[in-house]
Amino acid sequence: MLDIRSLSKKFGAGNSAFHALKSIDITIEEGEFFTLLGPSGCGKTTLLRMIAGFEQPSGGQLVLDGKDIAMIPPNNRPVNTVFQSYALFPHMTVAQNVAFGLEARGATPSEVAGRVDEMLEIVQMSHLRDRKSSQMSGGQQQRVALARALAPRPRILLLDEPLSALDLKLRKQMQVELKRLQREMGLTFIFVTHDQDEALTMSDRIAVMEGGTLQQVSDPRALYDHPANRFVAEFIGDANFLAGVIADAKLGMAGQPPVPLPRNEAANGPVTVMIRPEQVVVGPLAKDAITLNGRIETLVFSGNDTQASVRLQNGETLRLRAQNNLHAETTLTEGQRLQVSLPLDALRLLPQEAADAA
Amino acid sequence: MAEKRFDVTHMPGVATIAIVTFLALYIPVLILVVNAFNASDTAGRWEGATLRWFAAALDNTAFRRAALNSAIVALTAATLSTVLATAAALAVTRGRHIKGQGGIFVILNQPLLVPEIVFAIALMVVLAQVKQATGYQGLGYVIVAHTTFCIPFAFLPIRARLSGMDLTLETASMDLYASRFYTFRRVTLPLLLPGILAGFMLAFVISLDNVVVSSLIKSPGQETLPTYLMGELRRNLTSEIYAISALLLFASISIVAASWFVTRTRQ
Ligand SMILES: Nc1ncnc2c1ncn2[C@@H]1O[C@H](COP(=O)(O)OP(=O)(O)OP(=O)(O)O)[C@@H](O)[C@H]1O
Ligand SMILES: [Mg+2]
Repeated sequence: MLDIRSLSKKFGAGNSAFHALKSIDITIEEGEFFTLLGPSGCGKTTLLRMIAGFEQPSGGQLVLDGKDIAMIPPNNRPVNTVFQSYALFPHMTVAQNVAFGLEARGATPSEVAGRVDEMLEIVQMSHLRDRKSSQMSGGQQQRVALARALAPRPRILLLDEPLSALDLKLRKQMQVELKRLQREMGLTFIFVTHDQDEALTMSDRIAVMEGGTLQQVSDPRALYDHPANRFVAEFIGDANFLAGVIADAKLGMAGQPPVPLPRNEAANGPVTVMIRPEQVVVGPLAKDAITLNGRIETLVFSGNDTQASVRLQNGETLRLRAQNNLHAETTLTEGQRLQVSLPLDALRLLPQEAADAA
Repeated sequence: MAEKRFDVTHMPGVATIAIVTFLALYIPVLILVVNAFNASDTAGRWEGATLRWFAAALDNTAFRRAALNSAIVALTAATLSTVLATAAALAVTRGRHIKGQGGIFVILNQPLLVPEIVFAIALMVVLAQVKQATGYQGLGYVIVAHTTFCIPFAFLPIRARLSGMDLTLETASMDLYASRFYTFRRVTLPLLLPGILAGFMLAFVISLDNVVVSSLIKSPGQETLPTYLMGELRRNLTSEIYAISALLLFASISIVAASWFVTRTRQ
């Protein structure tokens, strides 16, 4: 549906030019909840603004339904935006705001009225239709902004951190509503956030960005379970990184004798071994695991689980999460010596990056 | 620990100075207004209240003609200068780094840079030629002259309103299929309106009380209210002049009050 092909964006010219996006390739499918996730300044807004038409690409193509739209001005693109600040027109009522896009397009008054009623119904704002948009709470403004952007039936809805101004409770509630709306109406969303939980719970697919480049595009599960590199593993969820060496389909780490890997996925040489803290098992495992000795340095209790930081014999640190189950066989105490096991199928071998060598 | 800052209102004597200043500013005006209602025709001796002088003024055709001229000049000059000031304010805040922003600044600060009397004399010399060449003797010259010095006053509130305006509103409008013109008409202009009204009223008041430019530019026999008053003063000081001055004062105050009200309520 939307093909983003080697899209790039430079701000400025000559030596002072800033490469905000470097050759981005993404294909977004019809009816998909697609999320752009990344730290501040990685280019999420820039990409969104290019899709909306507020920025001209410096290179590449933007193909919507088979047509290159890169040069079409924003008011002729069948793409609408929900702005982070909502950007509701303060001199208009809720209903007038929702009607704006339809009127600008030249819809007949009866068409406009019907669609406005329908949209206000959907976002449950009918009772406030004559309220001035400046006299509403953040959550209400959010709904109106959504209704206004959806009223002209855009092919794609762009949402730039739409929930970041809401408090946590309202945010959770809006996440659910937004997701339901998108699914029920079969809408295509491109959603920007720098909140990984929000991205994981809402998205069909997530593109992780960093420094103007795509790091990985996957569904949430795969992103968490099979991060492509250290940046993704660290940005999404919590991760341990340990040094390892591959030789002849065997992995050696933490001074242990090399163990054969179930699948030979990596070439010989040094690798970074990633394991999520919740995958680390306390105590020995019978098979297909690497068992290490260590000592608990710190314990942090956080309600449903306890996070322990274990100093391994070779000096590396391993963090683990143990469920706080009353019937758990072992209790952890600070300073305790223990064995921890790393199941082989929970290990991820990541390409070693320059930063890891240090 | 609370930091002790210099606060001028805590200095000794500030209240006294403020009161003296206030009295010096408003007492003479108050006396004038009282005199306008004084039944006696010698100022300084109160013989009861009357509206006689106002009636006399309104009966006076010379005054009525001058008042009409003033109204025409102030309305037209305020309208023209507001339109130009709006365009200038849009260019300065919206046009991205257009060339000639410095030029706009020089234009807008002309009344500060060039003393009014110098400007008036210069304009008088030029317009004398134009008058001779065209034969046109109407109010147009005064209107054009007033428009030029009213622009900066109209500009200030418009500019202030524009720079406080959220640019994403215009972006949102464009996103919702609006053309540039439609965006201007339905988003920018309505939001700018309080600033435009305030600018208009300021320009109106400034034009209304101008003497120097008007008296040098006007054609023979033409009068605006202030030039008419100046002329009458030279002959003798009558109670009718007090009444006319009071009318001018009321007009000015009501416009400033209206403008204040408009900008306050339509934030
Ligand atoms: N108009 C511009 N001129 C120059 N540089 C810009 C411009 N717009 C954005 N940038 C730069 O491009 C980079 C990406 O900006 P962008 O707004 O896309 O980041 P973002 O991922 O949306 O960040 P955030 O999460 O903080 O919103 C930033 O380093 C920013 O400074
Ligand atoms: Mg952003």
